[in-house]
Amino acid sequence: MPSDRANSGQPVYDPRGVVEAVAQPIAPRVAALKGLRLAVLDNTKWNANRLLRRTSERLAAEAGFAEVNYYRKESFSKVAAPAVIAEIVSNNDVVLTAIGD
Amino acid sequence: MTTTLQMSETADNAAVSDGRVPDGVDLVEWYYEQGFSDGFPVVPPTPEKMAAMLAALGGEPDLVECKVPPRWGSLTREVLAVNMVMAGCKPEYAPVVRAAMLALTATPFNLNGVQATTHMACPLLVVNGPLAAEIGMNAGCNVFGSGNRANATIGRAIRMMLLNVGGAWPGELDKSTLGHPGKYSYCIAENEAESPFAPYHVEKGFDAGDSTVFVIAAEPPHSVTNHVANDGRGVLDSIVSAMSTYAHNNAVSSGSCAVVLGLEHARTLAGDGWTRHDIRHYLWDNARIRFGDVAFEHRYGRIYNRNLPKWYGRELESLNPIVPSAEAIHLFVAGGEAGRFSAFIPGWGHMTSPVLRSIDGAAPISGPVCVDGTCYL
Repeated sequence: MPSDRANSGQPVYDPRGVVEAVAQPIAPRVAALKGLRLAVLDNTKWNANRLLRRTSERLAAEAGFAEVNYYRKESFSKVAAPAVIAEIVSNNDVVLTAIGD
Repeated sequence: MTTTLQMSETADNAAVSDGRVPDGVDLVEWYYEQGFSDGFPVVPPTPEKMAAMLAALGGEPDLVECKVPPRWGSLTREVLAVNMVMAGCKPEYAPVVRAAMLALTATPFNLNGVQATTHMACPLLVVNGPLAAEIGMNAGCNVFGSGNRANATIGRAIRMMLLNVGGAWPGELDKSTLGHPGKYSYCIAENEAESPFAPYHVEKGFDAGDSTVFVIAAEPPHSVTNHVANDGRGVLDSIVSAMSTYAHNNAVSSGSCAVVLGLEHARTLAGDGWTRHDIRHYLWDNARIRFGDVAFEHRYGRIYNRNLPKWYGRELESLNPIVPSAEAIHLFVAGGEAGRFSAFIPGWGHMTSPVLRSIDGAAPISGPVCVDGTCYL
């Protein structure tokens, strides 16, 4: 709120509200895919399964992943459950996801 | 001349710090330049307007009422007041707007998803109880349309906060393919004065003297025309027809929906002995969608559709309800005296649940409540 001090001008107000969350930087891009463990995160949208299965198959054929692990969100409209995220972080090196609308 | 705010930190994480602009600056244009508008000119807040709005909200400007996704901005009472003034609200609308924001940010509503979805859904507010009339809301002629300050600016204030605090700017955090006009304002009151039935909130266990706000993520109203039927079944069969298409989001995603009966249709139904309970159950039982239609006969690949309840039939000829229960059809009476019209309002799907919240702090009446043939324990 503008202060009451006796300076000239018209008061203006910010309608946005403060964001207290701190943005997390994304992980650095990996140099090479060979031998890494790929997580595929399906958001369960109509075409996500189809798109991600085909994309990950083609990617795996080129990259030579050590593992390809497939995960599903409970709902496409909600964030993935903490347990799913923890599992992905623990057992994978890179993640592939898509909207699949 | 463009004058920038003195920000305390980064541009996206700041309150106006000691914000002033020189005398003579056009404040309407200034707020446009900051990107703080829904597209219409805003009412520039003044210390006097802010003080009145804050007083109506209960003071304590730094009190955080809720956080608004997907940006998760903190909605303090001061920020609430800023957006309400900018939207053109009177201070007496404050309890409704505050209650609506608390309903929208309740977990079951999943506002994060509603704000970001590619679907066109957006929150519809329906106000019940004596407060609606006290603040001059329109529940009658052209109820979903323009021309009433309370309906227009309460709905606008909600949208302003979903934009400014929630960050749902089109193309940024709001990914809606088409949107719909309710994203400017989508707020009505039930026409309790003229309805032949008990009010919606009474059916849900509140006292008639309580005031409530109901929120549902919804498509625009789909018109139902029936100028002919002089019995309840005939009116309802037209609504059933509107509900039974496989293009709306309930058809493919289940969830909840709303039905708004116009006064003439409501009176025909009441005169024919139908209760709210009868109406909701008839609609639920008869508005069916053939599974083969929502599966496109499997011609694009075999479809199961896990967004529909497991108990739905998956045979091509299975006829499934559009929502899982009669309680998922939220029934209101609204609109003007003349015209044999009603409306079906599809929801977003199972990804959200409507929320009914008291405005004045009252709780639903404990114990069995029976209204128009419906008993709740």
